[in-house]
Amino acid sequence: MRPEDESPPEGRPHTGPPGLDELLRRVARGDRGAFEQVYALVSAPVYGVVLRIVRDRAQSEEVTQEALVEVWRAAARYDRERGSAMAWVMTIAHRRAIDRVRSAQAGADRESRAARMDVHRPFDEVAESVAARLEQERLRRCLTGLTDLQRESVTFAYYGGYSYREVAELLKVPLATVKTRMRDGLIRLRDCLGVER
Amino acid sequence: MSGQGGGSDVHALAGAYALHAIDDDGELRRFERHLARCAECSQEVRGLAETASRLGQAAAVEPSPALRDRVMAEIGQVRQLPPLVAPSPRSGLSGSPARSWRGLLAGWLRWRPRLAAAIAATAVAAAVVLGVVTVRTQTGLDQLRAADREVTAVLAAPDARSTTVPAGAAGGTVVVSRSQGKMVFLASGLAALPDSSTYQLWQIGPQGARSAGLLRQDGTGYISPVVAATADGATKVGVTVEPAGGSEQPTTQPLLLLDLPTA
Repeated sequence: MRPEDESPPEGRPHTGPPGLDELLRRVARGDRGAFEQVYALVSAPVYGVVLRIVRDRAQSEEVTQEALVEVWRAAARYDRERGSAMAWVMTIAHRRAIDRVRSAQAGADRESRAARMDVHRPFDEVAESVAARLEQERLRRCLTGLTDLQRESVTFAYYGGYSYREVAELLKVPLATVKTRMRDGLIRLRDCLGVER
Repeated sequence: MSGQGGGSDVHALAGAYALHAIDDDGELRRFERHLARCAECSQEVRGLAETASRLGQAAAVEPSPALRDRVMAEIGQVRQLPPLVAPSPRSGLSGSPARSWRGLLAGWLRWRPRLAAAIAATAVAAAVVLGVVTVRTQTGLDQLRAADREVTAVLAAPDARSTTVPAGAAGGTVVVSRSQGKMVFLASGLAALPDSSTYQLWQIGPQGARSAGLLRQDGTGYISPVVAATADGATKVGVTVEPAGGSEQPTTQPLLLLDLPTA
């Protein structure tokens, strides 16, 4: 009736374009066309998060390629009971990026990356699409609802690719404090964003 | 004590884990073992990982158009992994962080090759059913998730012990964790019953038999694993056929009788 509806509610797979979930199911059966659609949906978020951590554009494209090929390779292992398809893809990308910097970067280099990081302004680029811009705005608002230490712990770890030990060292706070702030910071963010549990 | 699994300190790592901020492999493995036993924690981690991925999505940047061609070219040369379905007796545990009970069963079977035949059929059916049920109602799904976590927790307990009876067509396996005070019962090869009757599981000790629940059977004859609290003094478990709804006490001879493993 209303073919312009972009986001059909879950459980109604016959209206609107297929979701990432359904596309991954097709990819798992070797469907290259479905993978092209997956690429269109996830390449920008994947490249964005990898770029945040790795920083170098050429290297970030390499890591993005590795991560996306991994999505193709492991599509059959995606289990929707363990979380959303997007979260699964982002986990692969984030891990890959961290593996790259943890194996490659010396401590001094990481310190200088930290110095360049502005945890109060976590996004380098303004998103291109309206939807992404709204999402950024929402996240920015939710991040301001965190204490400084919560926000710094979460963003240094996620966008900087630092381990909690490294974050504790950078912020000069005890390990136990950083662990706790990462957890309660994420919980506050989760509740503010209305993430489903 | 050990049943509580390490206390709040381990628990506090949920945030760092969701952010991939644990760089010590030993610590990571310990936390993942804890996750496998703590249903609440794995649910929390799921929500926090979902939240972390939102941080990533907000940072989206378009890569160069050339990347698309490189990726499409490369996937043409990459073999895809098969899905994780039934544990084959020879396969090891998968590397996935939150292991399902199917994976854990595969681990058990490596150590107990003789049990393989008895459980393989159950595990295959379980995998199929778990796949199918995902399209059913949300309530059913939630119940299934909860049951899956409970089963996983018992199978993953360090003190889990098992007994199996491959008795002709019908067989059963019972896994007991004394520290958790729980047991898991898996049946295989039991014939489908008419709606008027049901299989009932009993724990049997010197004080007599106590019901440990009904074995729910779907249309294909597959029976979901049953989790029950271990009854004090019970030394055996048995399965009988009872009228639909179950009985207070067994009314027929047991089809299956297994000794509960001792610690």
